[in-house]
Amino acid sequence: MRIVCPFCGERELSEFSYLGDAKPQRPVANAGEDAVYDYVYLRDNVAGVMAENWYHGGGCRAWLKVTRNTLTHEISAVEPTAGAGAAKVGA
Amino acid sequence: MSNSAIPSSTIRMEDASVAEFSWDIRSPIERALVVGPYGALGEAGVSLTEIRNFDLVQVMARRGKAAEMTKPAKARFGVAAPEMPKAVSTADATLIWSGPDQFFVLSKGGKHTTEALVQTFASSASLSDQSHARVLISISGPKGRMMLAKLSSIDLHPDAFPAGAAATTSMDHTSVTLWRGNDRPDGQAVFNVLVFATFAESLWHTMLDSAAEYGVEIGHSEDLA
Repeated sequence: MRIVCPFCGERELSEFSYLGDAKPQRPVANAGEDAVYDYVYLRDNVAGVMAENWYHGGGCRAWLKVTRNTLTHEISAVEPTAGAGAAKVGA
Repeated sequence: MSNSAIPSSTIRMEDASVAEFSWDIRSPIERALVVGPYGALGEAGVSLTEIRNFDLVQVMARRGKAAEMTKPAKARFGVAAPEMPKAVSTADATLIWSGPDQFFVLSKGGKHTTEALVQTFASSASLSDQSHARVLISISGPKGRMMLAKLSSIDLHPDAFPAGAAATTSMDHTSVTLWRGNDRPDGQAVFNVLVFATFAESLWHTMLDSAAEYGVEIGHSEDLA
């Protein structure tokens, strides 16, 4: 599998580390125990297209949001995660 | 512990040896680098040269300040700092892209040290001195690209990686900054690799192993290519 880093171009898998599902959002401070439990522990086991966080640690050290089909490994989109540098994407 | 049993002359000698201690700047691969030929006999296909005693500063834009870093960088160096994987050379410095909103300043002779740059980027970027944290290896020779192809998944063909191209990537599981400098006078391509000091000896041996079949000319230099 190869990932096209928006900063570096196409790179081999070994340059990247996988964090996991990009969908869960940290609950607000007073959200309650159930919401925090859900955020920390509960994950969907997606068979199909899912958004994932990947880290380009063997390259430019940017965090990326990769949209990947878990059945076929087809990657349909790669974008920098919010706040990960990224002011000049594609410039 | 009582010191009454220790002759006073011994104490003075110890004091003296501590006072005379000094830090010698030494290449992290000084033991591994043996100047001369290596590997296959005959004309060397690969020349490996360690460049020593350089100034290297990492410049990283502060959050949301990438655009503000542009103008002082251009005023200081006379060229725009690279905003994509490229290396740009000026008369006395090379600016190498090292990630989004950050770049290296590589130079010699103390003109672009952290101290010298701190005013330039006072309001836009943070600086980190990497001069003694990296080893700089210059690779050239007719088989230089062949050797690197064994270590890198990046296409280094001149059409894909011309002079001035740069990449932050991994070689032999080690993070490196790779860029192609200006060609040598004889037309040979020159590839430069910056590697973390503590990983440098390992990568150096890997390069020697990879280059042995082509014959290697090993050296070190004080001059940036």
